[in-house]
Amino acid sequence: MPSSFWTVAWAVAAKDLKIEWRTKTAFASSIVFAVLVLAVFYFARDPTAVAALDVAPGALWVTFTFAAMLGLNRAFLLERENRALDGILLAPVPRSAVFLGKLVGNLAFVAVVEFVSLPLFVLFYDLAIWRQLPTLIGVMAMATVAFVSVGTLLSSMVVRTRFAELMLPILLLPFLIPPVVGAVQLTSRVLAERPLSDLVGWLKLLASFDIIFVALCFFLFEATLEE
Amino acid sequence: MSGRRRPQVQYPDNGAYMVAAYIIVAVVVLLYGISLAVRIKKER
Amino acid sequence: MAIALVGLVGVYVRALVFTPIERTQGPAQKIFYVHAPAAWAALLAFAVVGILSLVYLWLRDRKLDTIAESSAEVGLAFSVVMLTTGPIWGKPIWGTWWSWDARLTSTLFIFLLFVGYKVLRGAIVDPEMRARYSAVIGIMALVLVPFIHMTVYLFRTLHPDPVLMKPGRPALPGVMLITLLISIGVFTLLYVGFLMQRYALAVLRDVREEEAASAIP
Repeated sequence: MPSSFWTVAWAVAAKDLKIEWRTKTAFASSIVFAVLVLAVFYFARDPTAVAALDVAPGALWVTFTFAAMLGLNRAFLLERENRALDGILLAPVPRSAVFLGKLVGNLAFVAVVEFVSLPLFVLFYDLAIWRQLPTLIGVMAMATVAFVSVGTLLSSMVVRTRFAELMLPILLLPFLIPPVVGAVQLTSRVLAERPLSDLVGWLKLLASFDIIFVALCFFLFEATLEE
Repeated sequence: MSGRRRPQVQYPDNGAYMVAAYIIVAVVVLLYGISLAVRIKKER
Repeated sequence: MAIALVGLVGVYVRALVFTPIERTQGPAQKIFYVHAPAAWAALLAFAVVGILSLVYLWLRDRKLDTIAESSAEVGLAFSVVMLTTGPIWGKPIWGTWWSWDARLTSTLFIFLLFVGYKVLRGAIVDPEMRARYSAVIGIMALVLVPFIHMTVYLFRTLHPDPVLMKPGRPALPGVMLITLLISIGVFTLLYVGFLMQRYALAVLRDVREEEAASAIP
């Protein structure tokens, strides 16, 4: 790979992240939302009837998914206002580098939210995750990559359409089902310290989704750019 | 048929569902076909 | 013309179904003869959209996009049939209108994806961009559906639903099999007929849009 590929990818990611870091609005909203979800789910459940382990995975992934949506929204609002991407595209750069950059930028955003929210959840639900942490992080990574890559592709398309803010959730929702269901199932099993054999099916699903859709998104990104 | 005795076979009485379903299918198909015809007429 | 012919055949077939066959499930089982073929037609339409989308991105022939668009609308109509007759069949047989099993959930999402496809197309004015973006969604949707199916299947096998009594696919006695096959054939013809008409409509509409666009000074 020529060095320009990575340079471009890095440049795109860095630009997005720098802009977000300056205002931090989406980031702050995500954290606030995490706390909100925690509180609502906490008060909504009857601790004698419903175990923390039953509720925590769902609550966790609702938070993460919402954070991803916020991040994607922010990313393309910036796009609309600055049309900076058009400038980058005028240069003879490999398109996939641009996609990688956007993807990494979005992933970084969601990752930060996840790593800030996770301790909060551990705290509030009194989860014992230390031993399971590597597996849990693996699951989080796989699922996050899955929906962020589809989201990145869709948001880059949707920027140029009418009703863009509405369009993104409508189009994205079906694509969230396999990764999020898989993530919740896996998180639930990991937290319950189930043996690996219980996880394998879902892991395979998530992994194949990742491989196929990340490749597909890279491939299709070209088609979303104006000639 | 109503006069005959059928000792073994007892069909569940859910014919209404069948009728409803078949009606819906016919309605949807007809409505869609009509909508196409109408729209084509408008374009011509 | 094609439609009228086909439609007639469809209704005629349904009359055929009414006569010779009855079952232990009761007459409601006959819904199968319209539900399954409708599902088949919807799935066919969906696959057509996906495949044409792929070919479009390769060949960039606008006709492909027009056919895909037509197939999507026809598929939407058949999905509506599928999603209405499904629960109507399910209620007497399963005791519940809906169950989140693999097939039902997949069909629901096929419907939602069709809707999303239409909504996307509605939001883009430029025909070339619309074709491109629709193709992207078409391909992604086609790849997604097996995953949704797998997801629910995996979920179900681990959480067996106690209420479920599947009216699945028992070995069909000959007479019923024939009816089913005829019905599938008819629905396929119906799909093709609708598709042709819808395509004709799309072509007319495109011509009008182009004239309007070039008429602007």
